[in-house]
Amino acid sequence: MAELSVNLGKFTMKNPVTTGSGTYGYGQEYHQLYDIAKLGAVTVKGIRMTPSHGNPTPRVAEVTGGMLNAIGLQGPGVDKFLNDEHYMPFLRTTNATVIVNIWGTTIEEYGEVAARLDAEKEGITALEINISCPNVKAGGAAFGTNIELASQVIRKVRNSTTLPLITKLSPNVTSIADFARAAEAEGSDCVSLINTLSAMAIDIETRRPKLANVMGGFSGPAVKPVAIKMVYDTYRAVKIPIIGMGGICNADDAIEFMLAGATAVAVGTANFVDPYAPLKVIDGINAYLDRHNIADVNEIIGQVRI
Amino acid sequence: MKAVIISNSRLQGDYFEVVFTAPEIAEKAVAGQFVHIRIDERNDYILRRPFSIHSTDPEKGTVSVAYKVVGKGTLAMSKLASGYEFDVMGPLGIGFSTPADDVVPVAVAGGYGSAALYLLSRVSRQKGVLLAGARSKNDVILTDRYEKAGFDVRVATDDGSMGTKGVVTSLIPQVLEDCKGKKLLFYGCGPHPMLMALGKLLKEKGLDGELSIDHKMCCGVGACFACVIKVNDPGSADGWRYARSCSEGPVFPLDDVYLGE
Repeated sequence: MAELSVNLGKFTMKNPVTTGSGTYGYGQEYHQLYDIAKLGAVTVKGIRMTPSHGNPTPRVAEVTGGMLNAIGLQGPGVDKFLNDEHYMPFLRTTNATVIVNIWGTTIEEYGEVAARLDAEKEGITALEINISCPNVKAGGAAFGTNIELASQVIRKVRNSTTLPLITKLSPNVTSIADFARAAEAEGSDCVSLINTLSAMAIDIETRRPKLANVMGGFSGPAVKPVAIKMVYDTYRAVKIPIIGMGGICNADDAIEFMLAGATAVAVGTANFVDPYAPLKVIDGINAYLDRHNIADVNEIIGQVRI
Repeated sequence: MKAVIISNSRLQGDYFEVVFTAPEIAEKAVAGQFVHIRIDERNDYILRRPFSIHSTDPEKGTVSVAYKVVGKGTLAMSKLASGYEFDVMGPLGIGFSTPADDVVPVAVAGGYGSAALYLLSRVSRQKGVLLAGARSKNDVILTDRYEKAGFDVRVATDDGSMGTKGVVTSLIPQVLEDCKGKKLLFYGCGPHPMLMALGKLLKEKGLDGELSIDHKMCCGVGACFACVIKVNDPGSADGWRYARSCSEGPVFPLDDVYLGE
């Protein structure tokens, strides 16, 4: 059994595996199947100040090698998240390391939700700033694809909380490394990447888009090589730790991300295929390390041989 | 969990029935619940497919799913032979309630919605009624099984090729006439427009029921929020909220279903 704990700057994870925000609900659904505290961290679905309906249906479409989604950040709002038994009060009953993904439609709202969570932070280990959801008009992509706006959001959140901050980056930009540098400069403690790729699919019989929102975010095994390259680029651009994600289905995929420079990884779409995927990834990383006589998982981070 | 196909055969036309071993599911399942199946014959398509549970044999530990070939996933499924092993999750979702001893269940099915209502016949003390609606006689399936279970089966088809010509809800007034004095509970499963029409008619007539409503699913356990449908929510500014059909449904009490646009 190798050492699996990793250091994300201001917090540690008992192993390098978390979940992609939006693919794991608020943890409760999967806690019925296994103890979610076994994961390095549980990253919950995005939270803003007020409740949100999200987008109309259909919200998902299957495509070759993955899927498109345009859920549109349906959520309970921060008050319900902090007080309703299905959300934070439930998570506090587990020993899970909890990362709360946050978003807003204005820079001020990002600050407000961060401050609100900071005021009741028992059980919250870190915040992940979502500036990269491609499926909501205001918030999300509008902030994540403009460096100046992204910087302002991160600055606002940084000034609103002492919790460790992870900035989730959009792949829908010319140079993701530039955004990682901006996040680092504004005091983000980590970056996570990639969010979904902006995409679209059309039903040729009806000639209508397969998603009610017309466009959505592409995820699943097909995006992995894109994500690996972006993690590789980012690793060379910043000193803060990277949480890598994008198409991770098994331990081999996770190890590839770590070799490219990720300190931790997130399992996303694979949760929909196999609810036990994150646990299998943890076991598989351990087996790989044993097979290669590596005592500590940190020894493989960024160790791709160029 | 792993399941093994016992048989996979054509019912009629594009409709098939697959029977597989899954003892835990066979023991627990109730009408309206579903299984979430992963067929990894095609690695380029990764998502699971949800199917209503048609029937179970708890003693043999088998589960039956009746399905229509509509796309890549179901086409691949229709070609699987007995002995094929696959991964299945279930029983998932909230199913139909068991009718009280004095209640006559009226199953209202659109198309292959009849597949999901069949287990009601096992838990009902009263002889029930099946109203089966379909485009044409080729799409009326499984009615013989309901008849064997003692149900009063009535059919409506859009083209009049079987039963009454018209929509399935047009059969309801006669049922009300014939069942005067009896306690009825309506159980609906079928296409969305049919369920909305059924819901509105039941409300109009002051009748009670449960509707199985879903939308394109992904995770099947309530995590991804893909399969939402509108339910009444007095606390929301719009009077409704999106509920996950996989985990909060697919069966919803009629009073919960939002019947507006």
